[in-house]
Amino acid sequence: MEQRLANTWQMTVNERKFIEMALAADLRVDDRGPFDYRPCTITFGRHFSFTNRVGGSSEVQLGETRVMSYVTSQLVQPYRDRPNEGTLSIFTEFSPMADPAFEAGRPGEFAIELGRIVDRGLRESGAVDMESLCVVVGKLVWSIRVDLHILDNGGNLIDAANIAALASLLTFRRPECTLGGDDNHELIIHDIEDREPLPLIIHHLPVAVTFAVFGEGNIMVIDPSYKEESVMGGRMTITMNSNGDICAVQKAGIGISSSVIIRCLEICAVKAAEITSKINHAMESFNDGRSIQYPNFHPVDVAIQDNLPDVIMDKKQIENLIGHLAALPLDALDRNSNKSGAVVVGTNTRAKFENNQARDGVPFYSPSNWDPYPRKLCSRLARSSLKLSGLPEDVEEDKVNTTQSVTVECGLEHTKGASSSRALETPSEYTTVEATSQYIKAPKTLKDAVKIQNRKMRK
Amino acid sequence: MNSMPSDSASMSFVDRVVVPGDHVLDLTGMANQTIKLGAGLRQDGDAISVMKAGKLRISKPNKYWVESSHKRYVPCVEDTVLGIVVDSKFDNFLVDIKAPMLGLLPVLAFEGGTRRNIPKFEIGTLLYVRVVKANNTMNPELSCMDETGKAAEFGPLKDGYMFETSTGLARMLLSSPPCPILEALGKSLSYEIAIGLNGRVWVNAASPSTVILVSNAIMNSEFLSAAQQKIMVEKLMKRLQ
Repeated sequence: MEQRLANTWQMTVNERKFIEMALAADLRVDDRGPFDYRPCTITFGRHFSFTNRVGGSSEVQLGETRVMSYVTSQLVQPYRDRPNEGTLSIFTEFSPMADPAFEAGRPGEFAIELGRIVDRGLRESGAVDMESLCVVVGKLVWSIRVDLHILDNGGNLIDAANIAALASLLTFRRPECTLGGDDNHELIIHDIEDREPLPLIIHHLPVAVTFAVFGEGNIMVIDPSYKEESVMGGRMTITMNSNGDICAVQKAGIGISSSVIIRCLEICAVKAAEITSKINHAMESFNDGRSIQYPNFHPVDVAIQDNLPDVIMDKKQIENLIGHLAALPLDALDRNSNKSGAVVVGTNTRAKFENNQARDGVPFYSPSNWDPYPRKLCSRLARSSLKLSGLPEDVEEDKVNTTQSVTVECGLEHTKGASSSRALETPSEYTTVEATSQYIKAPKTLKDAVKIQNRKMRK
Repeated sequence: MNSMPSDSASMSFVDRVVVPGDHVLDLTGMANQTIKLGAGLRQDGDAISVMKAGKLRISKPNKYWVESSHKRYVPCVEDTVLGIVVDSKFDNFLVDIKAPMLGLLPVLAFEGGTRRNIPKFEIGTLLYVRVVKANNTMNPELSCMDETGKAAEFGPLKDGYMFETSTGLARMLLSSPPCPILEALGKSLSYEIAIGLNGRVWVNAASPSTVILVSNAIMNSEFLSAAQQKIMVEKLMKRLQ
C-alpha cells in the first residue's frame, strides 16, 4: 500500500488553488490562452517500404501527450443485418508507461470511454465509407481495425487519439481484390506488387475538441494539460468536421449551461477547421515524400471511380466562384443530409466560408464534401454557382456507368479527360469533364455493391 | 607539504561530461596523497574510473565527484527538499519526496513540538523539509527543524505554485553566486521562491501572472547559458510592458 502511494502522482493543495485562481483571471499555468492548443506534430510510420506499402500508422504529439495509431485490415464475414458493409473497430491500449495510474490488462473506464468517443465520431457520422469495403455481398467484407496506443499522458488524450486515428486512416492502403477465375467466383487478393493498394474512402474528418470546465461551469479552456485535468470539474468533447457539422458530443462532470455550450460549439468550429488543415498539410507532405520515393505510386486522386464528374477551373474562376458563394444565403447551397442527421450551425459555416476566402489559392470546399487534394471543385458546387450566375447549364448524368462525360456550358477553359469514355459530342467551347473524384453521392443500394465488382472486372 | 597540482589528465576531464568507464585520474604518479572521491567515482586499481554519467567536478584541493541530473531523486543526508504529505500516521507523516520510498516525518520534529501540539496537515500539503537519515534500505527520515532545533524556514508552504524540474536545474538554481535567471527576474519582479534538491520548486508572488511568468521562465532556462538566460528575461519583460 505504501509502495503504491509512493508511485502515484500527488497534487498539492497549493497547485489546485493556484490553477483555479489563475483560471478565474483567464490565465493558464503554461502561459497559453484559454482557447489555444499546444503545439501538435503528426508523424507517420515508416512501414513504408517497397514491399509493404500499406501505410496506416501515425503518431501524434500534442504538447506532452503522445498517441500512436495503427490501422490494419482483414477479410471477414459481414454482420447479418448489414451484408454489404465493411466494419470498423477501435481498440485502445493504455500502457502503464504513459501514466502510473494506468494499469496493464483490462481497459479501465476512461480507456473504454476514449475508444467509444473516437468510434462514434468515425462510425456514426459516416466518415469512413463502409459500403466500398464490401467484396462479396453477404460473404466477405473488409474489417478495418484501428489500434490506439497511448504512449504518454500529458492531458487531453481524446483529441490526440482522434487526430492519430484520422491520420492513420488517411494513409492506410488496403490490397485490391477482384473476382476472377473460371466462374468469376474466385476471389483474388492482389499482391501489393501487382496492383496498387487502395485507400479508404473518407468523406470528412471528424475532429474532436475537448473543453475542460472549472468553477461553477462557466470557465472553459481548450486542450487541458495534465494538471488542469486533475483540477477540472467537468469535461466536454465535441466532435465536429471542418464544414461545421457536429458529429458527436460527450460530456462528463459538473453541469454546463446551454449558453456556454453554444459558445463552445462556435469555438469548436474554428478549431476543427484549424486541425483539419493541419492534418491535410501533414498528409500532403507525407504523400509528396511517398511519390518521390516510389515514382510509380499514385496519390489518392486516381483511385476510386465515382458517379459525379468534376469541374476543372483555373484560379481566377475559382476566386470568382468563391466571391459568388460568400454572398450566397446558406440554404441555396446544396446540402446533403448526413446519415447521422447532423445539425448544421449556421453562423459557423459562414465564418468558415470567410476564412476560406481569406486563404489565397485554396479552392473552396463545398459544404458537404471533403477533398484532401483539392485541385478540382465538386461539380455540384459549380453547377449551383452557375445557376446563380445565370449561365445556361446543360448537364447530363449517368449514375450507373463509370467514366462519363458531362458537358457544362459556361466559359470554362477546355480540358481533356484522362481516360476515354462514351464521349458525347462536345463543341469546342464546352468543357469535357472527367469522372475521377473520390466521393460517392447517390444513396447506395445493394445493386451498387454488386456493380462495383462488375466495374473492376471490366478493367 | 604543498598539495601537488592535479594530474594533467584529470584537469582535462574536470567540468566536462564523463560517462561510465572513463578513467579520469591516474594514480601512478601520485604517491602519499589523499584524494576524496564523491558520488559516481571509484578506484579501479591505479586509476579512478567513472560510474555515473555526468559532469566531473572538483573542489580544491582534492575532492572529486560526478554531478548528474535526473528526474528522480536519491535522498542524501542534509539535503533540503520539498515534500507532499500523503498520509498521517500515529507518529509519522508520510511524505513524498520523489524518492524511491516515501519519507517519514516524525510528528514531533517541529520546533517546540510536543504530543499536545501536533500540526494537522491535510493530504496534499507542501512542506519544506530536511533529510536527516537516508540509506537505500530504509525510508528516509525527515525533519522540519535544523540541527540546533530551530524552525529556520522549514514547515508548510502556503499559497503559491509548485512545479517539478530535474535535479540538475534545482542545483543550478541553488548555486552561489545566484543563478543568472533568478537575478534577472528579481531585478524587475518581486517573488518568493523555495527550491528543493529533489527537483521541486515553489514560487509565490503577489499576482498570478507574475507567478506564471517566473515559473515558465525557470522551466525554460535549464539548458540556456547565462547570457541566453538574461536575454530571455529581457524579452519577457518587454512583452509585459
